[in-house]
Formats: sequence, structure tokens, C-alpha cells
Amino acid sequence: MSRTADFLAHRWVRLAIVLIVIVVLAILPLVLPVFANQTLTRIGVYAVAVLGLNVVMGYTGVVSLGQIFFVGLGAYVTAYGVVNDWNIVLVFVAACVFSGIVGLVIALAAARLGGLAIAMVTIALPIIGVPLAKRLSDVTGGSQGVSARFSDAPDWTGLYNDQWQLYIVILITAIAFVAGRNLVRGKFGRAFAIVKENEAVAVSMGVSPYRYKVLAFTIAALFGGASGFLYMVAVQYTSPETLSFSHSISLVAAMVIGGAGSIVGSLLGGVYYVLVPQATNAIDPNLTTISQGVILLVILFVLPGGLVSLPRVIRRLARRARPPAGGIQEEGTVRPPSEGIGEERQAGPPAGGTEREERQGQA
Amino acid sequence: MGTFLQLVVDGLATGSIYAALALAIVLVNQSTGMINFAQGGMAVLSAYIAYVLTGWGVPLILAIVGAVVVSFALGAVVERLLVRRFEGGDPDTAIVVTIGLLTLVTGVCAWIWGYNNILFPSLFPLDTVDVLGAVVSIRSIGTILTIVVIMVLLQVLFIGTKLGLALRAVSFNPQSAALSGLPVGRLLMVGWGLAAALGAVAGALVAPELTLTPGMLDTSLVYALAAVIIGGLNSPIGAVVAAWAIGVLENLASVYIPLIGHDLKVVVPFILVFVVLILRPQGLFGRKVVVRV
Amino acid sequence: MTLLELTDVTAFYGPVQVLDGVSLEVPDGGAVGILGANGAGKTTTLRAISGMVRAGGRIVFDGYDIRGSRPEQTAHLGIAHVPEGRGTVGQFTVRENLRMGAYLRRDRRGIAEDVEYCLDLFPQLRERISSHGGMLSGGEQQMLAIARAFMAKPRLLMLDEASLGLAPGTAKTVYESIRRLRLETGIALLVVEQNANLAFSLVDTATVLETGRSVLTGTSAELKGMDEIRRAYLGG
Repeated sequence: MSRTADFLAHRWVRLAIVLIVIVVLAILPLVLPVFANQTLTRIGVYAVAVLGLNVVMGYTGVVSLGQIFFVGLGAYVTAYGVVNDWNIVLVFVAACVFSGIVGLVIALAAARLGGLAIAMVTIALPIIGVPLAKRLSDVTGGSQGVSARFSDAPDWTGLYNDQWQLYIVILITAIAFVAGRNLVRGKFGRAFAIVKENEAVAVSMGVSPYRYKVLAFTIAALFGGASGFLYMVAVQYTSPETLSFSHSISLVAAMVIGGAGSIVGSLLGGVYYVLVPQATNAIDPNLTTISQGVILLVILFVLPGGLVSLPRVIRRLARRARPPAGGIQEEGTVRPPSEGIGEERQAGPPAGGTEREERQGQA
Repeated sequence: MGTFLQLVVDGLATGSIYAALALAIVLVNQSTGMINFAQGGMAVLSAYIAYVLTGWGVPLILAIVGAVVVSFALGAVVERLLVRRFEGGDPDTAIVVTIGLLTLVTGVCAWIWGYNNILFPSLFPLDTVDVLGAVVSIRSIGTILTIVVIMVLLQVLFIGTKLGLALRAVSFNPQSAALSGLPVGRLLMVGWGLAAALGAVAGALVAPELTLTPGMLDTSLVYALAAVIIGGLNSPIGAVVAAWAIGVLENLASVYIPLIGHDLKVVVPFILVFVVLILRPQGLFGRKVVVRV
Repeated sequence: MTLLELTDVTAFYGPVQVLDGVSLEVPDGGAVGILGANGAGKTTTLRAISGMVRAGGRIVFDGYDIRGSRPEQTAHLGIAHVPEGRGTVGQFTVRENLRMGAYLRRDRRGIAEDVEYCLDLFPQLRERISSHGGMLSGGEQQMLAIARAFMAKPRLLMLDEASLGLAPGTAKTVYESIRRLRLETGIALLVVEQNANLAFSLVDTATVLETGRSVLTGTSAELKGMDEIRRAYLGG
């Protein structure tokens, strides 16, 4: 074990780190300028969304191109609740639960389908969701969207609006991340990993892929709903544009770039989702999309485990291993050992093993 | 009756565009095992290239041919440089790679030409013709015929020529193909090149109607994917038939089913996918695939 | 003249070493067998030669150093490998498989003549000329596999467990056809075979592999006479 790992193994060290983080988070909103607070707020919003996506796609291996739909759904439920003067806690719960239930229903129907079919179902969500939101204008305000001012700082706190909003976002994001971390560290996480690795093996171990896919998808929807609530806290306005398909793709990209199958990676994904477009838009708005494409492809080539795997990769490069004298060549092309996304959770055999060759050698 | 016929013909026309994209997706999937989410985006780039050529004074038909040739080359290069590394690997990673490619291609279009809608000249005259009391546009008929001709040509290529034999060999069993000396890598490039060329034709045919913009074929791609799923991932004919069906049913539903209407007609392909998958999980024409542990 | 020469060839599957010093020789027009228990590295040796597996050591074919080549390249040089998976395409008809086998050739008449020769050598294939490869019986698939490889007009034909999964009578028929092929065309053979009796009926010399190393080489007559060989591979 490395020296860093030894250091972190001590319980009091971990406790101290947690305490420091809490103190920093408590003070941060008070000292940072408005723009920084707003940026951090938005990072929290999308970090939760990416976390949800990670649970279903990074950890469980179910491709979801519709996560943004649940964010939009949560935002609309929040708007509805606020407009109808519900208690703010109730609004939050409603946003999460309603999204979760919708996710559950969809998952129950779709989880038995093959990979591409599930991807299609998730694509359907934002693609149908946008015109649907426009059509149900009584509830959603149609194309205009709906405003809901509710996250102004109450007078008794003496805070500015951006500080109050950031505190709310920090609180809920922290809860979400702690919950997520406990989820994937426990037996659910192990079940997800087995389902992702090989469904047939999962079945033989008594782990039902269907059940855990449904669970993962529901959790993703739940987190999406929470993210939608936070979105309304930050932006106080939502419209059909909120759940457009291109945002879904951006979420997937953010998840991969941050690190699929990683809790910290989800946070990094949120950071990426907010900061990079902000930077490129400042330079030239037409540059934003192309830079995102380039970054995603570069990460896939160079750092498939995402930014979160950077320390590990650097450590491995430092430890030069002896290259083997031979290896598998297939079909005339030399393939380097492939690291799929979410690599840190995979325990499978090295790529290019015998079984793969046999699979192609059919009469 | 007139309206009905009109809707059917127009539906076949849009369905032909979906069919071309679907065919490209099947082609790429059969040769390299990946679903190319960027197929539509690449087709849009091809349309922009044709647009640039017409801007240089090249007659439209030659501009389209030029764009097709360039797209073939681009498709081949993309396979070699970008995609080759991820073939035969984790399918989820492959999806994300093609999504990255889509973002990149869309971004390139946006960077060079911006997001404004650009008028693209129509290959076919904009007149209409009277058929059995229906007003049918020549462009629709022209689109359908063009795509049908291309499909026939592709069939001839695949069944009747040595190159077609080689392409099929590589898609069925690359190891056996390599042992017989087939240049597997080059053939994979040709597969992607052909798919890109197909997309170029589709893009150029539909651009006059949709107006040229980086996201022009985003929705069409979704329809094409639906057609591929319904028709079966390994059946080109199935994908084409399904694409035509989607085009026609979508049009009919938008007019005859008020609940769906024009704004929600995008629901139609998904309903079809859902229904087909419940009845026949491997698609209408597909073969059941056995997965070994 | 030596057509193929392996010297101290090594090969790894990832971190696992499968070949640890394989040496053998195939003379031009000769027939050599590779014997050994399961897992001894026989299949991997053939894969190393055709280029399906990257290997260390020295592999020289027809004067060319082919170590590190890819299958497409060794096929060009005149090596035809019939692998464990047979190397045919199940979705192709028999005719299409033969056409694929002849992919590198341009002599239309020569190809047609060789197709006729294959159908003459393997009469069952003539009846099934339009059937898909996947629908053939085991024996017919093996025949198709050999025909596919032969269509390239190779100088060296490598066969991996040609008798695998075949009934004894069928296996004998296949081997008789291979013997006839060698006699009539002068093609060199390198044959991996578990069934030592069948192997000795075909090859002049053989190498025995044990845990990735060639431990014994000799003519068929010599090897058949050895007690260890008899006990290990010929059933005592």
C-alpha cells in the first residue's frame, strides 16, 4: 500500500478531513463573490444529476440517454409545488418521489430489453418530453416555461440570495453524495457491478439483473428529480428547453469525463458540465460544442476512466512494468488492452483473452 | 383519399431518408459491431460540404457527388483513426465514442457555419403532380426513387462483386477473412466509408426541406435507430422496410389521430419499437442471437 | 530445402506464458506433425506462425522472417491456416467460402480449376455447393475448411485438430483426402493432432510439445517405436 493510503487509513485522519471539509463548506458561501457562489451552486445541481446517471450507467452498465428528463421533471414538479404554495420540504420530497416513481414505471417496462432497446427508451424520454411539456401548457406553462421565486434568502438569516441558495445546494448535494456513496459501497453496489460485468453470471449467483436494473434506474430518476429541485433553487425558472436531448448527451459526456463508476467522478462531472461551457462561451459560443467533442474523445482515448483516474494513471506510469514478449492479435489489427469506461469497477479478465478469439472463430 | 395518398407518399419520402441512415447504421454495425450515433451528424457535415461546393459554382448534382466522395474518405479515416481502437471492446464505451464523434462533428459544423438555418438548393423541381386526386410533390417521388436505386446498387455490390464478398466476410467472421488474406483493416474502412457516403446522399436530399443547420438530422437519427431496432440489427431489408413504415405511419398518425397530432408525432416510432419488441424481441426480420457465458 | 523453421519461439496470453521454446522444421513439400497433451501449446504454435498471436523467438518462412506478421501478411506469403474454429464463414455458401479462400488470386481459370479439384477431392461438398456453411455436418465443415485454405494455393497448409468432433470413420476419410491432396499437389503440411495414430498416418516427422516446449523430435517410425510415446499418445 502506498504511503498516502496508509495515512488515510487512520480513522482520526479521515475524521479530521471530514471536519475540515464541513467547516470549509460552511464558510465558503460567506467569503466568495456572487459569481463564484452561483457557479458552485450550478455545479452542485448537475453533480447530483451526474451522480444519478452514474448509478444506472456507470455502476450498473445500463445506457441512459434520458437522465435530463428526470431533472426537468423534478424542476416542473418543484415549480408546480411552489406556485401552489406547498411547504418547501414537501416540494423537495415531491420532486424526488414523483421523478422516482416515473423512473420506476419506465424501468419496470424497459429493463428486460436488450442494451440498444433500453438506450432507445431513454432517448424517447427527452425527445417526447419536450413536445409533451409544450403541449401540457396548463401545468407546465407551455413553451414559455414557468417561473417560481422561492429561494430568496429569508430575512432572519441575514444572507444574500446567492449565499442562501448555495447553502441549500451544498446541503442537499452532500446528502445525495453521502447516500450515493453508501449505496455503491454496500451490497447494492456489488450487485450492480456484477450485473454490469456479466448478466448470466449474476443470474447464476442469485442476483436478478432485472431487479437491480430497475432499482438503479429508479435511483437515477430520484437523484434526477432532486437535481431538478436544486435547478429551480438556482435558476427559479424552467421550460421545455431544460430537458432537451442535447443536455442528456452532455450529462453522459460529463459523467464519462469526470469518471464513470466513481462517486468523486460524479462531482468532477458536475464541475466539468458547468465550468467548461462557461469558459468556452466566454471565448466564442460557436466553439463550445466542438471543444466538448474534442475533450470527450481525448478522455476516451487517453484517460478512459475519466479525470478521477488521473492520479492512478500517473502512479502506474511512474511504476514502469515489464512489457510482455507476446500478446493476442486479432483479425490483423493489434488491440491494446482496452479500458472501458468505469474501469475501476471492472475485475474481468484482460481484454484479448482466449474466449474472445474463440467467439470469432465460427465455422 | 387524396390526403391519404399524399401522406403516404410524403411518408415514404421522409421514410427513405430514415432508411438511408438506418442502412448506414446497419452497415457500420455489421462490419465493426458498433452503433454509430454520429451517422446523422456526419450526413449533415456532408450536406454542408455539398453546400460549399455549390457556393464555388459547382452544379448541384456534381456538388452532391463530390460530397459523397469526400464523405466516403472521411468515413474511412474516422474508422481508422478514431473508431478502430474501440471495436470489439465494451459496447457502452463504443456508444459514448460515437456520441463524442457526434458532438465533434456537430461542433465543427457550428464553428464553421454557425447555427443559422441555411437554404440548400433542391435537386428536384418543387412542382407537384396530380396522382389519383392527390397532390404529390416531385421531390418526394424523386427522393424515394433515388434511395431505392441506391439500395439496389448496394445489393448488387454486396452480392455480386468480390469487394462485396470481402465486406460481408469481414462482417461475419473477421478472423476467417484474415486467414484468407483479406485486408481486414482496409475493408472496415470501406464499410464506414460506404455508410458515410450513404449518409451524404440522405443529407443532401433532405436538406432543402429541413434547411441546413448543425442539428438537422438529430431527430431523423432517432427514427433511423428505431427502424434498425424494429427491423432487426442484422437485416438491411428489415431496417429499410421499417423506416418506410415509420415514415408513413408517423404522417398518418399526425393527421388522423388528433391526440398525437403534429407536435407529438415523434411518439410514433417509439410506440412501434415498444410494440415490436414485446412481440418479437429480435426485431421483425432479425435473427435470434445466442449469448454464451 | 527448409520451408518453415521455428527457433525457440515464445508466446504469452497476457501475463501467462504459453510457449517457452518451441523449435521445429518443415521441409518444402514435407509433412510434419505436432503432438502433445491438451494445453501443451500446439494450437498456439500454429497461431504464432500465421500471426494470430504475437510471438518471440525466430520464425522463418521461405527465407522471410515472419515473426510479428499479421494473418493477412502470412496468407500472402503462402501459409494457409485451418484454425480450431475451422476458419470458414457459416453465413456464406460453400461456393462463397471457396471464393473467399481464393481472394488473393487473380487467375480466373486457375480458380475455377481449383474449385473443381476441391469438389472432386471432397464429393460431399459438390452436393452442398449452395448450402450455407453453418448447415453442413461436422465432417463437411472440416472438408470445407481445408478446401477454403487450399483455394489460396498455399505452399504450407497448417491444420489444427482436423479430427476434432468427427466420428472415427469421417476423420479417416478426411485424412485420406489430405494425404491425396499432398500427393497430388506437393503441398507442405504442418498438422496439430491429438489422435497420434491419424497423425502418424500422414506425417513424415513430428515434434512433441510439453508445457510450451518442444521436447522430442523424430520421424514417425522412430516416435511410434518409443515406449513413452506409445503409452502417452497411442494408448500403450
